[in-house]
Amino acid sequence: MKRERLVGLALAVITVVAVMINQRDVGIARDEVVYMSAATSYAHWWLGGFGPIEKTWGGPMGGGNNPEHPPFVKELEGISHALFSGVFGEVGAYRFPSAVLHGVCVWLVYSFTLELWGFAEAILAALALLLLPRALFHAGLAAFDAPIMTLWFATVVAYYRGLTRTWPWQVGVVWGLALATKHTALLLPFALGLHYAVIAWRAKQPLVHWRVLVSLAVLGPLVFFALWPNLWTAPIAHTQAWLAFHMHHVHYNFEYLGTNWNAPRFPWHVPLVTTLFTVPTATLAAALTGAAVWTRKRPADPRSPVLLLALSAAASIGPFFLGTTPIFGAEKHWMPALPTICIAAGVGGIWAARQLKHRLAVPVLTACIALAGATEVIMSHPYALTWYSALAGGAPGGADLGMNRQFWGVSARGVLPFLRAQPPGPVYSHDASPAWGWYIKQGLLPGGFRDSGHEDQGVRASTYAIVIHEKHFNRHDYMIWQSYGTVRPVFVLRAHGVPIVSVYKRP
Amino acid sequence: MRSRAIPALLLVIVALWEVVAAIRAATSVPDDDAWERAAQIVRSQHQAGDLIVFAPGWVDPVGRLHLGDLIPIEMAGRMDAARYGRIWELSIRGAHAPETVGLAPVFSQDVGGVTVRRFERAPAVVVSDVLASGQHGAVTLAEVGFEPHRCIQVVPSPGHPQRITIPMQLGTRLVGYAGLADVFTRRDIRAPGSLAVEIAGRQVAQVHPGVDDGWVRFEAATTPGPADVTFVASADAPQRLICFAAEARQ
Repeated sequence: MKRERLVGLALAVITVVAVMINQRDVGIARDEVVYMSAATSYAHWWLGGFGPIEKTWGGPMGGGNNPEHPPFVKELEGISHALFSGVFGEVGAYRFPSAVLHGVCVWLVYSFTLELWGFAEAILAALALLLLPRALFHAGLAAFDAPIMTLWFATVVAYYRGLTRTWPWQVGVVWGLALATKHTALLLPFALGLHYAVIAWRAKQPLVHWRVLVSLAVLGPLVFFALWPNLWTAPIAHTQAWLAFHMHHVHYNFEYLGTNWNAPRFPWHVPLVTTLFTVPTATLAAALTGAAVWTRKRPADPRSPVLLLALSAAASIGPFFLGTTPIFGAEKHWMPALPTICIAAGVGGIWAARQLKHRLAVPVLTACIALAGATEVIMSHPYALTWYSALAGGAPGGADLGMNRQFWGVSARGVLPFLRAQPPGPVYSHDASPAWGWYIKQGLLPGGFRDSGHEDQGVRASTYAIVIHEKHFNRHDYMIWQSYGTVRPVFVLRAHGVPIVSVYKRP
Repeated sequence: MRSRAIPALLLVIVALWEVVAAIRAATSVPDDDAWERAAQIVRSQHQAGDLIVFAPGWVDPVGRLHLGDLIPIEMAGRMDAARYGRIWELSIRGAHAPETVGLAPVFSQDVGGVTVRRFERAPAVVVSDVLASGQHGAVTLAEVGFEPHRCIQVVPSPGHPQRITIPMQLGTRLVGYAGLADVFTRRDIRAPGSLAVEIAGRQVAQVHPGVDDGWVRFEAATTPGPADVTFVASADAPQRLICFAAEARQ
């Protein structure tokens, strides 16, 4: 057992290292800039003796204090920045907690699978999760999408284990952390509640595991409240404002199958097709095999772990079938479904290998599926938002299909070496404008390439202009054409031949 | 034993296929060298006024990188392609530009994955163009349907149609397009706009471009000769950036 635990730990550590290496080449996302700023401010507040709450935590939704997102991960980022800037660099330090949480997720998937299915299944499930290109990318950002996957799944695991514990405080605490990470944690009770109803109905005892319910109902909100000082001053009003922001969230533009979507109704198949094209095909094939295995044989466990996994995935991805839930960001918003997919892949892949009754079958098949995932990870780096799996035809296939090219302006980092080689001048930095100061601060760009401002005024004041290619950003090309008098860029950054950023130089 | 081996075998095949397919996909798009050689072919035979298009649409920035100096803004923001008698199409991955649909190439050569084709046809004879009339407000280059279009842009107040009268020399038909500019106002306000065309006080065409309709064509038969053409832009909602262009054709 000790050896098995060490393997899981090693996989978790490898995951953290892989994320931290991977993120070094990834540009700074627009939203990260806000989160990093809030993170520093939050950490100062906690570590510096609790100043006025409103100044650090309050203000309007969308403002600099970022009150529209709960604070837990930002608090970790701020503390990490204070502790590890000298180790990972400033941006790397902010991103470190997300990387660690991704390692925790791999550990949880490994240990849950080990507990229920076996060592080989656990290794394959963990590798499948580690080698998901988009998840690896998101885990390397100072954002909430990878952390909420971890804390969502941690809640599921804690709930499952809590069903046999006398004092299942863990599930409430972990759900509280999830709530304090991202609003999508509010979907978890749908999965857990339905699962609880099923096992209670089977046991013919409605309160068969009442302590779990109490833990969720009491400790969850308490932890959430304790971690978010903004709630301390006006708990109901600030909770309402937070929820209202997300219930009425603006629909950002997002390309899907050739159409720019920015208003409902969205196609019901967005989550299916996007998952199909953003999870390595071998992993998906193994997961389908695992799902088929589960229809015939499930662990003899009254806690119904397979049902729990299925409900967990359904609660995460289900809202995106409704046609009204915003689809921007796509798979990052239903990442909590990925542990279920990866565990299914572990079970399915190893089941298939064991049918051969050959001692090499399990390692060979595990290696093949991992190799496929690793290949996709390598292909996706560093522009994973432009990457699509081999099933879609890679990045070029994704472009042919009209899948979303990218978002958050991350890829702008790729044109910095070209700009550096030019005479200095102000730059219309487009969607990368929030990150531009960071690039200069990090020494990736000399100060002479300052940001020239926004929209027409920014273009007019610029010597260089970049356009980050998304369908709804085409208008930025046209603004530049009019101002510069040419349609010819001087450099086009590509990911496997697919244009992602154009650079114009004023003639 | 054989049937038991099928799931594992399939998984191995899928995995190995994915390794190969992912690597191949990453190198499946022609590089700058191929584009440069293709561009040289175009440059060696290019004539003033030739239209240059790229396919698929997503490779357009790469095409402009190599041949953008031969594409004036007026050409990039064209109303349509009818006035161009010679069209160069540079395409990859078997794609075709919408401007060449139905045409047969008179020249075709593949250069490292970039297919260079030239199409020739009798161009539409443009008698006059509202954008060249100089009788109205500034012509702008707007995003309509995520494409560039030079146009006259009008923002009528709800319930108060805005009329623009332009003296034109007419041919046998008036061809035009209208659409709603600006993706963000299209997102936030979902109502359509409307553009009617009147000649000598008689309405000859009307279109109601909606937020997802893009650049909507209209056409009317006309009597050759001078005439005042009135474009009436109207909307029931605010911030309808109605963008239009029209040509009198022979």
